Amino acid sequence: MVLLYDGMERCRVMASSSNEALISVRNVSVSFGSKRVLDNINLDVYRGETLALLGGSGSGKTTLLKQVLGLMKPDTGSIWIHGVDITTCTPSELNTVRRNMGAAFQEAALFNSLSIDANVALPLQELTQLADSTIKLAVWIKLWAVGLADCGRLYPNELSGGMRKRAAIARAMALDPEILVFDEPSAGLDPIVAAGLDELILFLKQTLGITILVVTHSMESAFRIADRLAMLYQGHLIAVDHKDQFVLETHPRIRQFLDRKPDPAPGGERGFMASYLREFQHEH
Amino acid sequence: MSLFEQVGRPLVVWAQDVGAVTLQWWTAIRALPSVMPVVGKRRRWRAVLEQALAIGVRALPMASVMSLCLGFVLALQSAAELRRFGGINFVVDLVAVTFTRELGALITAIAVSGRSASAISAEVGTMVVTEEMDALRVMGLNPAEFTLAPKYLGALIAMPCLTILSTVCGIFAGYVFMAFSVDMDFRVYFRQAFEAILVRDIWLTLIKSVVFATIIVQVGYLNGLRVSGGPAAVGRATTRAVVESTFLVIVADLAATWFFYTMGWSAAG
Repeated sequence: MVLLYDGMERCRVMASSSNEALISVRNVSVSFGSKRVLDNINLDVYRGETLALLGGSGSGKTTLLKQVLGLMKPDTGSIWIHGVDITTCTPSELNTVRRNMGAAFQEAALFNSLSIDANVALPLQELTQLADSTIKLAVWIKLWAVGLADCGRLYPNELSGGMRKRAAIARAMALDPEILVFDEPSAGLDPIVAAGLDELILFLKQTLGITILVVTHSMESAFRIADRLAMLYQGHLIAVDHKDQFVLETHPRIRQFLDRKPDPAPGGERGFMASYLREFQHEH
Repeated sequence: MSLFEQVGRPLVVWAQDVGAVTLQWWTAIRALPSVMPVVGKRRRWRAVLEQALAIGVRALPMASVMSLCLGFVLALQSAAELRRFGGINFVVDLVAVTFTRELGALITAIAVSGRSASAISAEVGTMVVTEEMDALRVMGLNPAEFTLAPKYLGALIAMPCLTILSTVCGIFAGYVFMAFSVDMDFRVYFRQAFEAILVRDIWLTLIKSVVFATIIVQVGYLNGLRVSGGPAAVGRATTRAVVESTFLVIVADLAATWFFYTMGWSAAG
């Protein structure tokens, strides 16, 4: 209950200081060999808001997410989390910053050798001095919040994809972080489970006042959960806007995303393939 | 590609690998206190025991059967030659000394390499592919303390135990041969075998087993960490881990034996 109360308190703080950027990405560029993956990216995520980072496959979304989580360092630029530049800080400072962040990965990234409650308890056991009984209660609260209160004794391979992602969210919330980062939360899930996960993210934001950065390519999910949307295209940030304004964007790539239009097949390739298939069927 | 490039490129890759293994080994050494009993965390010590049992139990049947077979073969082959000179009794000394100084540790290392280097590499590789390593880092936890140190300490405990068992199996196989061929008494055989072995030989073989454990765990772990791309890459890393660790164990055995010989530690007396 203490943990939930902290969240409510945070909501009040959020209301008074919502202009404070908890995540600031400044002039970040990243190249892999000769390929420029991120080009001079500037982005802020403000306290208490949910920002959805959109983009097609290979647009640099996950690379930017890894920069924010401190898993990779940019070639140039800086990333500020809670006022600390994580590109120049020491490993121990980075770990201190990370204790205020939680991340739910695309494949859930639960430890298969541990039960679900042991997965959620792990950060509490390793990073706090809490008594075992308190940890047990905290784990139950987190699992209850994500709707898995009676699944604690199961192992990750005994859960469905949606349940694994919920468990990953419970683990990400274990230390009551101020920032939660999601990588493709609805990827690989059926629409009903994906909608349930969106509801959960909304619940976390509204109840606990957590600042959320979501990387996704699902427009439906992004519009449901986000306050603002940002779009990456070929390593460039082509738009960052409130969702009501985002639908009015005129950039062709954004229109293509919003209207769900495919890329045209290069050089009449599709016509060539069709004629080849017809010929093949005729011969056989 | 010029000859200079053809020779230089593998050398650079080799130097990078040596550097990476050395750094990783140092990281493991620094993380060891966190998994030790009393000074470390209780849960992690349990993980060490699990790893020691997994590595030891997994390789136990293979190492003991290999030692029994090789002990018998060694006795058989040496008896064929020594019998001509009336020195069949020296088979006992030969088998005992060869297994204590050399084959016990080597056979164990090859058995562990085949089973545990691949298992470590597959486990770590899968953790990389499923982002579990990233999850640990994002939680502010040191992956070396969770994944590398328990495996390393577990191997450091299991390998010397397995080496001793393997040596005993090899020497016992020699007894089986001598019992059948010259009807040698059990007590006579083992008295002669123990007289041939020096305490120093046992220490040196235990040191070798610790070196081999280091090679197997570090090479297996590094290959797992280098997995990128997906599940297919895990399979490739597993194969590479077994091949590299077996090769390095044999090279390290040669280096260690040559060093002990140069220092005069291989000679009796």
